[in-house]
Amino acid sequence: MKRIALLPAAAIVGLLFFQASQKPEAEKHPDFLLFDAKMPANVKAIVDQKCYGCHNAESKNEKGKKKLDWDFFEAEKKSKQLATMSKINEVLTEGDMPPARFLENKPEGKLSEEEMAILKEWSAGKKKKGE
Amino acid sequence: MKVWHYSGLVVALIILGIQLVPTELPEVTQDNPGDLIGSRIVDGEVADLLQTACYNCHSNVTQYPWYSHVAPVSWLVAKDVKMAREEVNFSIWSEYELMDQLAILDDIYSTVEEKHMPLPIYITMHAEADLDDTQRQKIIEWAEAAMDILAEEY
Repeated sequence: MKRIALLPAAAIVGLLFFQASQKPEAEKHPDFLLFDAKMPANVKAIVDQKCYGCHNAESKNEKGKKKLDWDFFEAEKKSKQLATMSKINEVLTEGDMPPARFLENKPEGKLSEEEMAILKEWSAGKKKKGE
Repeated sequence: MKVWHYSGLVVALIILGIQLVPTELPEVTQDNPGDLIGSRIVDGEVADLLQTACYNCHSNVTQYPWYSHVAPVSWLVAKDVKMAREEVNFSIWSEYELMDQLAILDDIYSTVEEKHMPLPIYITMHAEADLDDTQRQKIIEWAEAAMDILAEEY
């Protein structure tokens, strides 16, 4: 009798484990909200090499992960992607990324002039009509 | 006792003295044709909330209380308002590029949600700017919807 009473409890505990182990999945959005242009390959290559190390879903760098998570970027809706690009453009223009402290230990992480130019051009987005 | 009187006088003189340090509070202009309020992306209740909780620093229509003219408070107010307007000035909304407007709205979403804004020190002197959870929710929902509207233009 006691064992049967335990079953529902075990089921609930099991359910909790099931939920906890679910991987967080980026919210899917209807197609009309999706950014039509996927990230260009040359941009993606630089991002993978120079940014992704801190800005990813598994990153131990909590601040970096919170500010920008490349694993979610392409699944985000268009408005959010554009806002993110705009902020990327700002930190690159200000020279705030990659952080100076990070580069002290890892000078090879610095963006080359060419890489910087490619990222800046991409993150600036297309200009408004008439410009 | 005499020493006590003497030091009181010194403090009074210092406070009087610092009033002579020139401090310029950022200018107020009432006519702002490019203001966010008046653009098509905001109206009604959210516009009221923004005006009550944000506009005193993040616009050109700052209402300076009497104490903001008295040093050393005036120094803090001048610095905060100046920095606030540099970060985002809703009175010149139409001058921002579309991409910048999107970034600003995204920042509004996160700073309001995470309660980083309005600044705690501001709320202590301006209880009306202390947004409750329902009001914060209204602002963040508006910010997200406004971003979608703007992104359509891209």
